Amino acid sequence: MNAISLKINNEGYDVPVKPHWSLAYVIREKIGLTGTKAGCEMGTCGSCTLLLDGKPIFSCLRMAIDAQGSDIRTIEGLEEENDGELHPLQEAFIQDHGMQCGFCTPGMILAAKHLLDHNPDPTEQQVREAIGGHLCRCGTYVRIVKAIMNAAETMRNAQATQ
Amino acid sequence: MEYYSPTELDHAYTLLDKYGDGAVPIAGSTFFMSHREELFDAADAVIDIKKLGLNYIRLNDDGLHIGATTTFNEIFDHKLTRDGRYAILSDTAGELNTNEVRNMATIGGVICVAGEVDMPTSLLACDANIIIGSSRGTRAISMSEFHVGYLNNALEEGEMVLEVHVPQPPANTGAGFAKFQRTAADLPLVNVATHVSLDGAGACSEARVVAGAATLSGVPERSAAAEAVLLGGIIDDALIESAAAASNDIECVNDFRVSAEVRQLWVRCGVEDTLRQAAARARQGGEV
Repeated sequence: MNAISLKINNEGYDVPVKPHWSLAYVIREKIGLTGTKAGCEMGTCGSCTLLLDGKPIFSCLRMAIDAQGSDIRTIEGLEEENDGELHPLQEAFIQDHGMQCGFCTPGMILAAKHLLDHNPDPTEQQVREAIGGHLCRCGTYVRIVKAIMNAAETMRNAQATQ
Repeated sequence: MEYYSPTELDHAYTLLDKYGDGAVPIAGSTFFMSHREELFDAADAVIDIKKLGLNYIRLNDDGLHIGATTTFNEIFDHKLTRDGRYAILSDTAGELNTNEVRNMATIGGVICVAGEVDMPTSLLACDANIIIGSSRGTRAISMSEFHVGYLNNALEEGEMVLEVHVPQPPANTGAGFAKFQRTAADLPLVNVATHVSLDGAGACSEARVVAGAATLSGVPERSAAAEAVLLGGIIDDALIESAAAASNDIECVNDFRVSAEVRQLWVRCGVEDTLRQAAARARQGGEV
């Protein structure tokens, strides 16, 4: 076992890990932040997506030991970033029914958050590309894209009134 | 399994020597982690090479130098690869359609895998060199010799990839890349890259036509016949069509995903499409 420290949503976590344990496994099973989902565990479904140093990655393909010193953001960190309120993306997913079973939702929202942080006014094509690595087994894609487009509009309006 | 994260190349080389075949250099870890069940048992040590300063894209007089741990998104977005004579590299990186994987996967890792990937096909079309380091020194090997078979590269024990060097092409050079796949996030079923240079009279002075991901040999291959058709000719529709037809000297694999016959047809289509793009870029001086 190797003792490592991970910084997740601005909190420090000391956790012993084996080198081959994935970041997704450690975050869910050892730290208990189960918002991050583990789906295929081979980098094809997108449900384990989180932001590592601001960029979306598949946490099933990253060794936890290899994430030391990085700033990790999971779905649980979104509210804190938004002064304790649900993030506009989370609100939009509720409003527009951008989920059925919800398993893909944390990954979808984090991929979308990265897109909107860098491109506040994306085209539908750009939204589809940003979630291109994410599978929704319920087939809710149309509503997911709509939710992301609506969240982008909400965020632009909020920015304009500030 | 031990884990190391060296910050000096010499330390990395010492570890590679110590663990020999059981050492696995890791950067993006996408291949290693997605094949963990087969690969973990054979690995005695994982060596994170991301802190060795191998993350860079630089332009020198002799061409473009890309550090081994440069990610696909960095290649996709960089001003040196996005436009101009090296744009095929950004085109190819962007064809890895999953943003999350582009943030992780590195050029060094993807060429070492030597499987169904896109970048080696384009690097062979660019006649790239792979710079390899070990405690014995550094050596350069041509992309054409780096892959020695499916999932098999020319690295010897104790060696690791440091850099990809793409030689500066002559003026009036253009290149194009195309791939065929079942879905946007799938592995390529066939990929094609072409690279042409024109002389002062507009005739083709240099040509490389490559197909990968589907060849019978398991590694990207050049089509000598298609290149012979192009050399010395004016690249017009008729020449492009004959070169595409000649590209069937590359034998494709026949498997449950697609038949060899269909793959061969796709190679032909890919050669035709990419030659049009390459020739158009070359006519604009390679500075599109």
